[in-house]
Amino acid sequence: MARRPGSFTNVAQPVRSFWSRFAFALLLAGAFALMLLGKADVLLVERFRTGVADVLSPVLEVLSRPAVSVADAVASMRRLHDLRTENERLRIDNERLERWQHVARRLEAENKALRALANFVPEQTAGFITARVIADAGGAFVRSAMINAGSDHRVRRGLAAVTGDGLIGGVVEVGDRHARVLLITDLNSQIPVAVERTRDPAVLAGDNTRLPRLVYLPQNAQVILGDRVVTSGHGGVFPPGLPIGIVTSIVDGAIKVTPYADWNRLEYVRLLDYGLDGVVKPSSGTPPFSLMGPERSQSGRLLGLGPR
Amino acid sequence: MRLTATQRADLWLRQATPIALTVLLAVLSAVPIGMPGYSAVVPGYTAMAAFYWAVFRPDLQPPFSLFVVGVLQDILVATPLGMTALSLMVVHGLAVSQRRAFLGKPFALAWLGFVLIHALSAFGVWLLVSILALQPVGPEPAVFQYLVTVTLFPVVAWMFVRIHRYVVR
Repeated sequence: MARRPGSFTNVAQPVRSFWSRFAFALLLAGAFALMLLGKADVLLVERFRTGVADVLSPVLEVLSRPAVSVADAVASMRRLHDLRTENERLRIDNERLERWQHVARRLEAENKALRALANFVPEQTAGFITARVIADAGGAFVRSAMINAGSDHRVRRGLAAVTGDGLIGGVVEVGDRHARVLLITDLNSQIPVAVERTRDPAVLAGDNTRLPRLVYLPQNAQVILGDRVVTSGHGGVFPPGLPIGIVTSIVDGAIKVTPYADWNRLEYVRLLDYGLDGVVKPSSGTPPFSLMGPERSQSGRLLGLGPR
Repeated sequence: MRLTATQRADLWLRQATPIALTVLLAVLSAVPIGMPGYSAVVPGYTAMAAFYWAVFRPDLQPPFSLFVVGVLQDILVATPLGMTALSLMVVHGLAVSQRRAFLGKPFALAWLGFVLIHALSAFGVWLLVSILALQPVGPEPAVFQYLVTVTLFPVVAWMFVRIHRYVVR
């Protein structure tokens, strides 16, 4: 490769050859060191991460807009195509839902009456923050989404992130102008849940596939296909009763849950703030362990599943 | 021969193009495009760039810049810090050491080189993720991502060739 006379590569040649001899090994070692530091959850690394991500979040925000609008255009073309069948389906759906609405109204009235009778302490109402997803790629090993709201918008660690369909994950990293949501499909996501029909407690563990697994079910639990899975509220991270998905496969005791959320259209998410502190200690800077891994007592028993 | 300020700026911009392009690709690999299943198999654009420039213009891809780009990508896509940096360094190092085999040969040979070198780095990444997670991670997404990356390599490399020819020179 011919070099131009006077180009800075010529001037820097001696320096560069000296540098390149050590640089490579040094940088490899540096990468390993970074990985270890990251694994050890050093606060400095965490700050560096959120700081850089904060600076870059406006760039991502701008870039994600055209991408989303192109995807929208494609989707609307497709929708136009099967408008008629869609309409028919919606009409049937509507009829069905109207019947449900009657049932719901009756139950609501009944519920209100019974609550009054039983002197029930109502749960705290939730505040919420809506934010746009500005980055969602994690490659083969991470399932997370970056959103354009941060501590400036009163986002805290541990808030539950939902779409209209159901729970998608929890906030694990908060910068000033961005936050990162660890999706329930991520390898590190473990959420206390309950099977809605039987109230059996379990943990929903992600494994980087689209279908997280239901683990740590009680011995005598009887889960069948089509069971709804909701958050149990144990561990005090997520509020109870948020819909997550339905059981769609039971093979050799491995129970897979198909989340309600549509992962292809993660555009806006809502962060629910129930004022729960739970096991998340935002001030100490340690990650919320009910999200990053199951919490264990000293004897190794899993916590967050039963009464403390 | 002395260069005027504009010429120098022009030259500098041309020489900074490869790294700038890699930075852009790192950012782009984090942008959601709303395609079904895309986010799980985002091709390793930066690995392609690292390989291409390591073979054809290693002087314009200093390892340190590549390291910084890798860390940047780690932050953007939330992989463990240093992981992408390490894999890019591996691709760069192997490609530079073997570049004589690809120079002036048909493109298919360079493609094959990328297929082999990227296989090594992808396997290394999978191994590291498994070690960090303290359990073997399901290899399917990694394999799929690898296949998508090596399949798309000619397309992206074609773009690099254009840029190499008309911008970097």
